[in-house]
Amino acid sequence: MRQLKVALVMLLIGGVLTTVAFVMAFTTAEMQRFGTVTVDEPLDTAFPLMEVSERGYTYERPWFSQKIFYFHVPVAEASFLVFGVAAFYSIRFLMRRRKEFDTKARLAMETAIVFVTLTMITGILWTRAAWGVWWEWEPRLTTYFIMTLMMIGYFVLRNSIEDEERRATYAAAFGIIAFINAPISFFITRLIPSSHPVVFQSGFATSNLIPFIIAQIGMLMVGYAIYAIRASEVRLEERVDVLKDALEG
Amino acid sequence: MTVADTPTPPAPARQTGASLSWRQFKAILRKDIVMELRTKEMVTSMGIYALLTMVIYQVALSQAGTAFDPRDIAAGLLWLAFVFTSMLGLNRSLVHEKDQGCLEALLLSPVDRPIIFFAKAAGNVVFLLIVQALTIPVFAFLFLQRADQYGGDLWMIPLALAGGAIGIAGVGTLLATMSVNTKGKDFVLAVLFVPLMYPLLLAAVSATSAAVLGGDGYVQQFWSSMALVAAYDAIMLVAAFALYEFVIGA
Amino acid sequence: MTQAVAAEMLAVQVRDLTRTFGARKALDKVSFDLPTGSFLSIFGPNGAGKTTLVKVLTTLTPPSDGSAKVCGLDVVEESVDLRERIGLISHNPLLYPDLSAEENLSFFADMYGIDDAANRVRELLVAVELDHRRLDLVRTFSRGMLQRLSIARALLHAPEVLFLDEPYSGLDPHAVEIFDSLIAQIRADHTFVMISHDLAKGLELCTHALILARGKVVLSAPKEEIDEAEFAATYRATVGTGVA
Repeated sequence: MRQLKVALVMLLIGGVLTTVAFVMAFTTAEMQRFGTVTVDEPLDTAFPLMEVSERGYTYERPWFSQKIFYFHVPVAEASFLVFGVAAFYSIRFLMRRRKEFDTKARLAMETAIVFVTLTMITGILWTRAAWGVWWEWEPRLTTYFIMTLMMIGYFVLRNSIEDEERRATYAAAFGIIAFINAPISFFITRLIPSSHPVVFQSGFATSNLIPFIIAQIGMLMVGYAIYAIRASEVRLEERVDVLKDALEG
Repeated sequence: MTVADTPTPPAPARQTGASLSWRQFKAILRKDIVMELRTKEMVTSMGIYALLTMVIYQVALSQAGTAFDPRDIAAGLLWLAFVFTSMLGLNRSLVHEKDQGCLEALLLSPVDRPIIFFAKAAGNVVFLLIVQALTIPVFAFLFLQRADQYGGDLWMIPLALAGGAIGIAGVGTLLATMSVNTKGKDFVLAVLFVPLMYPLLLAAVSATSAAVLGGDGYVQQFWSSMALVAAYDAIMLVAAFALYEFVIGA
Repeated sequence: MTQAVAAEMLAVQVRDLTRTFGARKALDKVSFDLPTGSFLSIFGPNGAGKTTLVKVLTTLTPPSDGSAKVCGLDVVEESVDLRERIGLISHNPLLYPDLSAEENLSFFADMYGIDDAANRVRELLVAVELDHRRLDLVRTFSRGMLQRLSIARALLHAPEVLFLDEPYSGLDPHAVEIFDSLIAQIRADHTFVMISHDLAKGLELCTHALILARGKVVLSAPKEEIDEAEFAATYRATVGTGVA
C-alpha cells in the first residue's frame, strides 16, 4: 500500500511539473526562429517586423512547432528508459526465474507502450507542422513505429501462451531481443541511403533547457506512477489468487 | 532373439567433446534435410507461396503504366516474397520437432543446446537459399524481361541473398521455437518476426537494389549496405544464440 | 526408501525438492530415495506434479530449491553426464514419422555419440523384433510398433535408469502384452521410474510406490509395506484435490 501512496504523490507532482513545463515552454522559453520571410505587402500579424527595404517587408519566421519538443523529446527518452527497465527485468528473470521479475518486466513494458504511443503522436504532429505531411519515414519515427510493433508483439506473445513459466520465459527472451533491435533499427534507417530529407538539428538555449528538464522529470515521475499503480494492482490480484487457491484446497 | 539376449548393459563406447558436438550438429542438419527431401513439404509450400506472391505483384503493378521500370523496385519485391515464404518455412521446421514430442527426446540426449540452435538455423538457411534460388529466375522471367540490362555485378546478388538468409534463419529459428508453442502459431510468428526483421530487410533491399540497378556509386552502396547486413547478422545471431538455451528448455 | 541403504546404492536421491513459480508450487519439499534396481511407480491426479518431478529428474527443468541426484549425479551441476545415463519412454513415441526405423535410431545414436552405431542399431532392432521393418517410415507403424521402437530408442545408449511416462496410454491389450514382456526382459538390469494413472498396473510392476498430490508426497513406501485397499483409498482421496 505504501508504494501506491508514493505512486499517487508522484503522479500529482509529475502532473504539476509537466504542466509547469508546458506553461514555461510558451512563456519563458526563448522562441526558436527559422529565419526571416520577405513579402511585398505589410501583413496584419503579431510576428515582429525586422526590416523594411525596397525588397519588401521582412518578418521573422517563428518556429512554433518546435515547442512540441519540450514534450516529444522527454517522452521519447522516458519511453526508451522504461523499455530498458523492461529489458533489465527480463534479463533478471532469465537469470533467476523468479515470477516477480517477470511481473516487473511486463509492467515496465506496459508503461513503455504508453510512452511510445505518446512519442508517436507528438512525433506525427511535429511532422505535420514541419513538413506538411502526417507521416514521414524518418529514422526516429520509423524506429518508434517498429518499437510500437515489437511491444504489441510482446503482448500478443504473452496472450498466446497458457503455461505461466513458459510465457514468462518467452516474453523475457523477446523483450531482450526487441530491446537490442531498437537501436539497430534506428542506425540502419539512418545509414541506408534514401531519398528522404535527413533529420533536422535542434539547438538549445538555456531558457529552453529549463522547461525541457522539468518536463523530463515530470514525465519520468508520471511514468513511475503508472508503473507503481499497476504493480500494486497486480499484487492485489496475486493475493486474491493465493487466497482462492487456499480456499479450494 | 530377445532384448535379454542382447548385451544391453555393456555400454557402447562413446564419443565425447568437440568431435561429438560436430557429429550431433551434422546429424540434426542431415535429418532435417533427409526429411525435407522425403516430404518436400517446406520447399514446395514455400515455392508455391512465392509463385502466388508473383501473381499478386502483377496485380499490384498492373496500373503502373509502361513508363514504369520494375527494376526500380525489384529488390523490394523480392525480399517481400522472401519474408513471407520464410515465415512459412520457419514454422514448419519446428512443427515437426514438436509433433511427436521429438524435441523432448533431443533435449534428453547429451547435446549442448547451442548445437541444436546452430543446426536448426543452418537447415533453415539451406531451405531459404533453395527457395531464393528458385524464386529469382521466375521473378526475372516474369517481371524483368523488358528491362534493358542488369546493372551491377552478378555475384553481388547471391551475396546479398545469403547475408539476408543468415539473419532471417538466426532470428527466425529463435522466434519459431517460441511460436510453435503458442496458440495461433503463424500469426504470432509474423507479429514477432516482421518488426525484428525490419533493419535487416532495409539493408538487404538496399544491397540487392544496388546490385540490380547499378549506376553511380553502386559498389559503394552495395558494400556499405552489406556491412550493415553483416553487423545485424552478427549481433542478432549472438543474441539469439544466447537466448536459445532459455527458450528451448521452457 | 530406508535410510539403511548406502548412498552409492541409490539410483535416485531427492531432497526437499521444490519447484515454484510465483505462489504456485508444482513440487513442495519432495524427498525420497530409490535404491538401484528398483521400480518406482508415481501416482497422483493431474496437476499433482508427477510430470514436473520427472522433468526435474531428467534435467529438462531446473529445481527452484532442494536437490536431486540420479545415478549419483546432480541434475543441475552434472546434467550432461546424467543425460547419458538415463532414458525415457513416453506415451509419445518421440520418433520422427518421416524417417525410417533405422534412420531414427541412427540419428539418436549420433546424438549420444555411440561408436559403431550401425551394429548397435541393428542389434536393438532385432531385439524389439522390428528388423524386418527397419527401412519403413515410422509414419506407417502401428501404435504397438511405435512403442517397441521407442523402447529401442531409449535403450540405445544403455541407460541405467529408465523413466516411463504413462507408457500404457493408447496401447491395445496385445501391445500392452508385448510391452510388458519387453520391460520384463530388461527389468533386471535397470532402475525404473514410472508415472502411471493405472493403479493396478503400477502396483503390479513396482517395488516402491509414491503418491503425489498438489506437489507434496502423500505416501511413499516400498511395496511390501503397502496394503492395496488402503493404498487405493489414499489415492482416491487425492484425486479430488487435483489441479489448483
